[in-house]
Amino acid sequence: MSIIPYLLDFVVFVGIFGIMALSLNLEYGFTGLANFGKVAFFLIGAYTYAILSQTGAPFYLCLIASALTSAIGGLLISLPALRLREDYLAIVTLTTGEILRLIVKSEDWIGGGIWGITVSPAIKMTGASPTSKILVNIGLVFICMAICFIIIQLLTHSPYGRVIRAIREDEVAAEALGKNRSKYKAQIFMLGSAMAGIAGGLFAQYLRFIDPYMFLPIVTFTVWIMVLLGGPANNWGALLGAALVQLFDRGTNLIKDYFTLPIDPTNLQYILFGVLIILVLLYRPQGLLKESEIKTEALRSARARGSTAKNREG
Amino acid sequence: MDINWAQILLNSVITGSIYLIGAIGLSVTYRLSNFSNFAHAEFITLGAFIGYWVSSQLGWGLLPAFIIAFLLTGTVSLLCYRGIFQPLAKRGASTIHLMIASIAVGFIIRYSIGAGWGWTPQYFLNTWTTYEVGAIRITGLWLLLILVTLTSALTMHFALMRTKLGKAIRASSSNPELAAASGINVNRVILITWFIGAGLAAIAGIFRGASTQVWPMTGWDIILPIFAVVVLGGIGNYHGAIVAAFIIGLTENIGVVALTNLGLATEYRMALAFLIIIITLIVKPQGLAMFFRRA
Repeated sequence: MSIIPYLLDFVVFVGIFGIMALSLNLEYGFTGLANFGKVAFFLIGAYTYAILSQTGAPFYLCLIASALTSAIGGLLISLPALRLREDYLAIVTLTTGEILRLIVKSEDWIGGGIWGITVSPAIKMTGASPTSKILVNIGLVFICMAICFIIIQLLTHSPYGRVIRAIREDEVAAEALGKNRSKYKAQIFMLGSAMAGIAGGLFAQYLRFIDPYMFLPIVTFTVWIMVLLGGPANNWGALLGAALVQLFDRGTNLIKDYFTLPIDPTNLQYILFGVLIILVLLYRPQGLLKESEIKTEALRSARARGSTAKNREG
Repeated sequence: MDINWAQILLNSVITGSIYLIGAIGLSVTYRLSNFSNFAHAEFITLGAFIGYWVSSQLGWGLLPAFIIAFLLTGTVSLLCYRGIFQPLAKRGASTIHLMIASIAVGFIIRYSIGAGWGWTPQYFLNTWTTYEVGAIRITGLWLLLILVTLTSALTMHFALMRTKLGKAIRASSSNPELAAASGINVNRVILITWFIGAGLAAIAGIFRGASTQVWPMTGWDIILPIFAVVVLGGIGNYHGAIVAAFIIGLTENIGVVALTNLGLATEYRMALAFLIIIITLIVKPQGLAMFFRRA
């Protein structure tokens, strides 16, 4: 296999998982919601895209539908679950993901059950070379990622962003200041799920085939590693984490092709994954990049006043 | 369709017994260490593999298999706690970080097992005679399982209620600060529960492995029903877990009959246990513990 399509394929996956990492970062990094069922919304998006694309709907409609169905799924789960303690929320979302996977696995009429479902690509280019097809995909995925990035960046640096950070730090205090925490949490959960749904749709149309075994809990865990490694509550960190984890994944896959090791590389890859995350949690729990600072007018003037006060003393 | 209710009841007891032995450790450590240890699934798997190795590959028989699996898995669990979870907790890791760390530990153990024994399912070499009592069919393995479950359940009950260690465990789980203030070495209590809990998980793994197959996902296959037992029984509640294990066993086995009659896939029997987790946590997070004194 030549190296160029391999590298481009890597870039596509960085984009798709970048969106996943950004959305988990919004939920966990900024708001403190431990969503252990990210894969559920990825699955909803992917299957919505797959089923809708078979009716011949244009790709942007399919993607919007993916986002909407995932958002509705997120809302349905968040209504009862968001009042729970953080570890209970984690267990509930994890089991929800497994239930959804059981449903698409058992119900053949949804998406072909265990035999999976073929998906038509977003932009059809008959006769184009594989490389140019991947390039078009890169364009599409990165436009979506940029939109998600800008939305989250604007949101988290607005007054709204300060409220969700306040809820993360101390939700009772936030509530006491008149902020309806359930409403904010549900909104964030819906938005995060919608983005995961878009990522799922992009994933489905890129691979052009999906089956229930692509949506194991390990997908959720991979996204968590990306966010924790890159740095929670930092959007650049989420993207960096996505790139690094994909690089690690590809790197260990390359080793498989070029070296013979006494230990099976697939096993080794996951063992190293585990070691990596424990090392990050032990020695760099804040991640590679620090939490992005809030930029506000008030903060700037407070700083300026602080420095003039210091000058006066000196 | 003629339904053999006696057999369904027996099957429920069998399923429930494996879940119960598997759940006790998870329940108690969840309560004492304040996070749910997902690597518990891998303690089950590890037990199954050690049992398979001792009894079928080395050919030493079942009793040594149980003892060695119990001790080795308990030791691995102790090392995980001392080496990873305790240092993390001391550095102020949040519950979520500890849960992620336990998934990571689970990965390391699961894929190390995969590297050592491979991913092809293995089977215990033991053959079991099947007894027929009236309409009920029961294998020797199941008789042994019921015997082991009864013995360990009773031992645990008396140990928790009567012995000094049992009282220390109960005191530490209901109020660690007060327990420490009254001179209980809470840290030692936590270490002992991690050891015994994982040892029991290993026993559950051997039974699960001997009745189905042994492969690196043996534990993960049943970890969510075991979570259902822990949650429904009330986290850290031993007597609640006994009742919950039987309820989950019944749900699964009656579920299969009901699902077949409704024309649905029997795969959904797992979904029933999952629904119990979700509903319990949302409606009554303390689970069945409300019916029992904290134990």
